[in-house]
Amino acid sequence: MKLRAIVAVAAALMVLAAGSAAFAQSDCKKLVPASPWGPNDQTGATNRITPAVTKAAAAEIKDGKVIALSYPLTDGVPLFGTRFTKTILTATSLAPGAAFGENNLTYMEDTWLSQSHVGTHLDGMGHIGRGDCYYNQIAMGKFINQNNMTKLGLEHLKPFATRGVVIDLVKVYQQAGKLKTNAACKKACLDKGTLITADDLQAGLKMYNVTLREGDIVIIHTGWGDLFEQFPAQNALYNSGEPGLGKAAATWLISQKIVAVGSDTWAVEVIPGEDPKEAFIVHQMLLTDNGIHIIENVRTDLIAAEAAASGRSTFFFSMTVPKGVGMTGNFVGIEGIR
Amino acid sequence: MKYPAPAFSPRGRRRPHVRELVAGLAALLVVLAGLAPAAAQRQYVVAFANLTEEPGVTVEGTGFTGREIRESFVLAARAHPVEMVFYDNRRDDARALQNADAAIARKVDLYIQYHQGAANAAIAEKLRAAGIKVLALNDPVPGAPLYTVDNLAAGRVAGQALAQFALRSWRGQPTAAVIVGNLSDAADRVPERAQGVTEALAQRLPAVKVTSVDTHGNPAQVGPLVGKFLAAHPSGKLLLAATDDATALAVKSAVETAGRVHDAAIVSHGVDRSIHGGMNDRKEIDPANRGSIVIGSVAFYLDRCGYEVLPLAMRMLRGESVPARVATRHVLVTAANVFIEYPPYDMN
Repeated sequence: MKLRAIVAVAAALMVLAAGSAAFAQSDCKKLVPASPWGPNDQTGATNRITPAVTKAAAAEIKDGKVIALSYPLTDGVPLFGTRFTKTILTATSLAPGAAFGENNLTYMEDTWLSQSHVGTHLDGMGHIGRGDCYYNQIAMGKFINQNNMTKLGLEHLKPFATRGVVIDLVKVYQQAGKLKTNAACKKACLDKGTLITADDLQAGLKMYNVTLREGDIVIIHTGWGDLFEQFPAQNALYNSGEPGLGKAAATWLISQKIVAVGSDTWAVEVIPGEDPKEAFIVHQMLLTDNGIHIIENVRTDLIAAEAAASGRSTFFFSMTVPKGVGMTGNFVGIEGIR
Repeated sequence: MKYPAPAFSPRGRRRPHVRELVAGLAALLVVLAGLAPAAAQRQYVVAFANLTEEPGVTVEGTGFTGREIRESFVLAARAHPVEMVFYDNRRDDARALQNADAAIARKVDLYIQYHQGAANAAIAEKLRAAGIKVLALNDPVPGAPLYTVDNLAAGRVAGQALAQFALRSWRGQPTAAVIVGNLSDAADRVPERAQGVTEALAQRLPAVKVTSVDTHGNPAQVGPLVGKFLAAHPSGKLLLAATDDATALAVKSAVETAGRVHDAAIVSHGVDRSIHGGMNDRKEIDPANRGSIVIGSVAFYLDRCGYEVLPLAMRMLRGESVPARVATRHVLVTAANVFIEYPPYDMN
């Protein structure tokens, strides 16, 4: 082969290689904003939970009352798409002769098979992207293997010990005379497709004279969780849509520098969405662009009732998130302490 | 240390002249006038008189129901300062006239009329006399702008997709084309759809003979009629254009029954929920089913109608001009783009 031909083939190969690389990987600097906490940040909005924020939140604990904000984790609850749960109890040591030693020790344990985003759960930084670009401009294609992510895992999050603020949208809509409930809800609820606006959120805060502050976690009560509680009877309806945040409301929450937003729905954002050609765009706005967590299927009715009874909508937000290395999210236990 | 007096310091304030005061007041009024519309955006009342809301009854020769069209208006209205009022014309002229009267009594600001009857002219007259703007959906109303599906254009998209497939996969092989569906349904302009398919095939594959198989709206007839055609054409490749999604699925079944899967390619019209699904609700057109002989379906987006029509209505209400005719942008939806065109949004 002549030198000219070799050079031509090499040049063609270089062009091909460059082309395929460009196709495989997006320029994440153009698609996702940089983190305000620097180029190495994998923590996101929990950076806002400083010792001062936690200390200030502790002032919410007045009488030690603890309110559950998680639903029981069990087979049969509504699940998104192909997600599943299956629990298997290992109780073999209860069989005759299977106990250990003279002290007759027996034991039991469980096998829990499920995806991580089931029941009351936290969406981590690695859950949602724009193409292959994730939070803080991370080109995720380079940081995944068959088992987990090597960036943006839950192990990077700071503890969620901060102030929680419940916004009771059912009350807001009732007071505004615009509540359209769903007949399947045993208690009043906003119907699926109800678009929660920034004005609605602010009306809910005003109802209890609360102003959001940096580091807060916002919990939105829509009443839709009533259908979750009726599992499995209302799973199909619960899954078919939900009331939730619109883009403007999400933008406003982002401007308040919160850490997370949770709701008694499976996606927190309004479904069907505002634009039928967009998919879960509020997820991208909160997680991918701003590192703000989403907490789904939160049990909100008890804390909303507590706020209504006491006239106070703030509480100490305590949530346990396992340090799941390389995980995109996980089911969580949440308590509101007052 | 001496600091300069801030601009708003009362020190150094001088008595303003009357002229400056008047000018200031005038400027304030201008600013307030500008703010007024933003502070209290006008809420319009928009009526939508639907063709039919009878459960399960489909419209426009597709698999979409009137209820899906109504729901699209409910959802689209969330983004606009409108209160929607809904009427059901029940495909009946007398009812359509009553609905227009009710809307006039209700003093709606704009009336969206979706009706195929002869009463449209009288209804337009009534509404215009009452000072109510009219927008027509799918069927013309005299003097009103029209938003409509474009059957001819949709048919061309389907025909081009079939021709492209044949040119890519079966070049030089004997090929026949069949158009299957309710071809005599002139009210829903299905013949225009068929014409579009024929035109596109003739342009790209002039040697291919096109046969029409009219099911007269009876889905149970698809199998026997297509089966008969397949029996009469035991060899060669087949391009099958179905005028709606239910027909496409029945055609596929007939092709499978005849053992001709490797000889057939099908393109449909509509993209209703019978042919595409979601996360769990997997259907024929699905990213995980790229080997299907159903290449795709031409989207009619009737389940998103409100999202296209309400912005036009808003422009009319704001006194802006709108085109006399706006048509749906029909796109071929395949396994490759179905989740882009129809992103799964529910959990089912």
